[in-house]
Amino acid sequence: MQLLPEQIAGALVNESFHSRRMVVAIFVIVNILMLSVGLLWPKSYTASTSILVDERNIIQPLMQGAAVATDALDRSKNAREIIFGRKIMDTILDYGGWLKANPSVEERETLIDAIKKQTSITPVGKNILRIEYRDADPDRAFRVTEKVADLFMQESITAKAAESRAAFAFIEQQTQEYQDKLTRAEEELKELRSSNVDATTNEGQLAAKITDIRARIETTTQELREAEAREGSLQRQVSGEAESTADMFRESQYRARIGELESKLDTLRLSYLDTHPDIVQVKQQIQALTDNLRAERTRREEASRSGKTTESAVSNPVYQQLRREQSQNQSQIDALAARLGELQRQLQTEIGRGKRIHSDDARVAELTRDYQINRDIYQDLLRRRENARVSMNMDRERQGLTFKIQEPASLPLAPTGFRFWHFAAAGMVLGLLIPLGFLVARLQFDPRVRVVSQIAAVHKAPIMAVVPHLWSPAELKSLRLELMLLASVVLGTVGVSGIVSAMRSLKVL
Amino acid sequence: MSKIEKALNRARESGLQVVPRADTTGSATGTSVVAYRTPHPETIPRMAQNEVRMLGAGDLEQRGIIRPQHGEDPVVQVFRELRTKIVQHSHGQNAIVLVASVNEGCGGSFVSRNLAAAFAFDAGKTALLIDCNLADPSVHELLPNASVPGLADYLENPSLDVEKIIHPIGIARYRLVTAGKRHEAPEELLTSGKMKQLMDTVRRRYLERFIILDGPPMSRIADNRTLADLADYVLIVARYSQSTSAQIASCISAVGDKKLLGIVFNEEPRIPRIR
Repeated sequence: MQLLPEQIAGALVNESFHSRRMVVAIFVIVNILMLSVGLLWPKSYTASTSILVDERNIIQPLMQGAAVATDALDRSKNAREIIFGRKIMDTILDYGGWLKANPSVEERETLIDAIKKQTSITPVGKNILRIEYRDADPDRAFRVTEKVADLFMQESITAKAAESRAAFAFIEQQTQEYQDKLTRAEEELKELRSSNVDATTNEGQLAAKITDIRARIETTTQELREAEAREGSLQRQVSGEAESTADMFRESQYRARIGELESKLDTLRLSYLDTHPDIVQVKQQIQALTDNLRAERTRREEASRSGKTTESAVSNPVYQQLRREQSQNQSQIDALAARLGELQRQLQTEIGRGKRIHSDDARVAELTRDYQINRDIYQDLLRRRENARVSMNMDRERQGLTFKIQEPASLPLAPTGFRFWHFAAAGMVLGLLIPLGFLVARLQFDPRVRVVSQIAAVHKAPIMAVVPHLWSPAELKSLRLELMLLASVVLGTVGVSGIVSAMRSLKVL
Repeated sequence: MSKIEKALNRARESGLQVVPRADTTGSATGTSVVAYRTPHPETIPRMAQNEVRMLGAGDLEQRGIIRPQHGEDPVVQVFRELRTKIVQHSHGQNAIVLVASVNEGCGGSFVSRNLAAAFAFDAGKTALLIDCNLADPSVHELLPNASVPGLADYLENPSLDVEKIIHPIGIARYRLVTAGKRHEAPEELLTSGKMKQLMDTVRRRYLERFIILDGPPMSRIADNRTLADLADYVLIVARYSQSTSAQIASCISAVGDKKLLGIVFNEEPRIPRIR
């Protein structure tokens, strides 16, 4: 059953009296323990120094945007990295005299870990770093703090200079590389251009030219076809003229003579008999001419069958004319065919050249792009290199980052951390609280009844009487003795605690 | 001394008989003066003649018995109040009160002998303490000679007279009956008719006599049942830092509401006044 606070308060007095020996024993034991812990607790002295990290100087505004200054926020982190680095820690080990005992590698590690734990680096405000070091020896605390601050400043400046130098070297190397690349790209471009002059002709001109050639080819082809058609027609005319014109001319001459002779015959017959010699002669002449005509026709038919030009045909002026035209036409056909061949050759050449120009254009574009990119990067690098050079020079001249000891380390006079009197006081408080806490817990959790009101609350039966112990005079006497003894034990404990604390503060102990 | 006690004493001195009122109207006083009556032949004056000086003040203190001289002592006050409450309960009539511890070591004997002493303080009352804890008796410690005949002897021996087992101890109006010789099976003795007869006898012999039975711990439930039947009231003695709530609860249920007077919480560790 949970007790109410007022029930606990009342019961606690009774309970303390009831368990007085236990209470006093716990008080004494707790005090002795705390005093022992206090005596064994290592004294620690803390020395501290603050470093002003000055980043505002006259050069800074002048170099705005050109040089990059270290960010103040990273400073305490950086400081931690630098100070707890192997280099400074080894120096400190030597400086603090820890190496006199010739520690092994593992022991050195342990020592370094201990030093790290005892060192605290905290940023105070924006630009001040506070370095604190705690040690059992005040003198060493002071010296180590001073040395750590000193080493840190040196190391930071050296590290920063080295960093900016390395940055400059890197950018320098990159710049060189890009310069080489740029030169190479330029040369390649030049070579390509000089090796291929056609490359200067652009695509539009070439297309126009090809179109022109194609048009000319078409025209020529057209002309050629026309000439060829004319040729066919002339051929036909020539052969037809030879057949009809030349031979028919002779036949018509024969027929005209025959006609003339027949008319003469008719005239003669008017006057003469058929037996008249003139008539007979004329008749003979007609016969001879008819025979000739027949022979001529036969010959012409034979000739047309065999295809031979007869002499008569050649001598035909129309034929002659046709032949002349045919000859002219033939030479025109030849000229046109030759031109067509030439044009087609030109077209092939131009198409080939067009293809070549395309591949060259791609190459040129690639080279040009490379060249432009490299040129941009190169220019950027050049700018950066100059920035880096300025940063490097600033660090070399110690203009970029300056350190100043704001508050020098001093020899700590009083130890820090838990003092002896803290333990003594804690002993007193705990010596009271622990037994009381125990009694409260026992009141709360022990099922045995200690509070009368608890019975009344739980059971219906009334409380008839609450009987205290009946003290006989002898018992009272021994109780008095016991209480005096307990009181003297408590007072003794308090006294011892006080005396030891006083001796400790006077550095007797 | 309460007002009621004083009034009762005055009534007795003037020869008035105080009896419980017959009706049950629930009057606050609970008692009324009904009739004059002649004192019993064996009353206090004769008893006073028989008083022997046996225990001195030092002896009483050594045996843990309160003395009226220590009126300021809180223990004395507590027992006086307890006596008053019992008298109120019994409406002024004498009664048999069984005092039983919750468990061994609760101080039932201490409470019973001091309750008897508190009754003896009152000049108008006498007290008889009977040791009924036959298995583990303690009342004989109050006598210089422990080997006097006691309750067990009386119950076993038919020829033994009641007078022989009632012993004075040197306190006025205070008598006691020891347990007598040790007995391993007290239950049979306590349930005997002679025991009941004895109770009747001692109760009727002196009307102002309050009989306190120092009973065995409640853990011996059979003995206590028997004794509770014989007694008018039962007081349960619990001890600080010893009796648990569950034990008290089982004792209460064992006794029952009818006869249970209440609980005496013993040995509360109050810081005494040290002179």
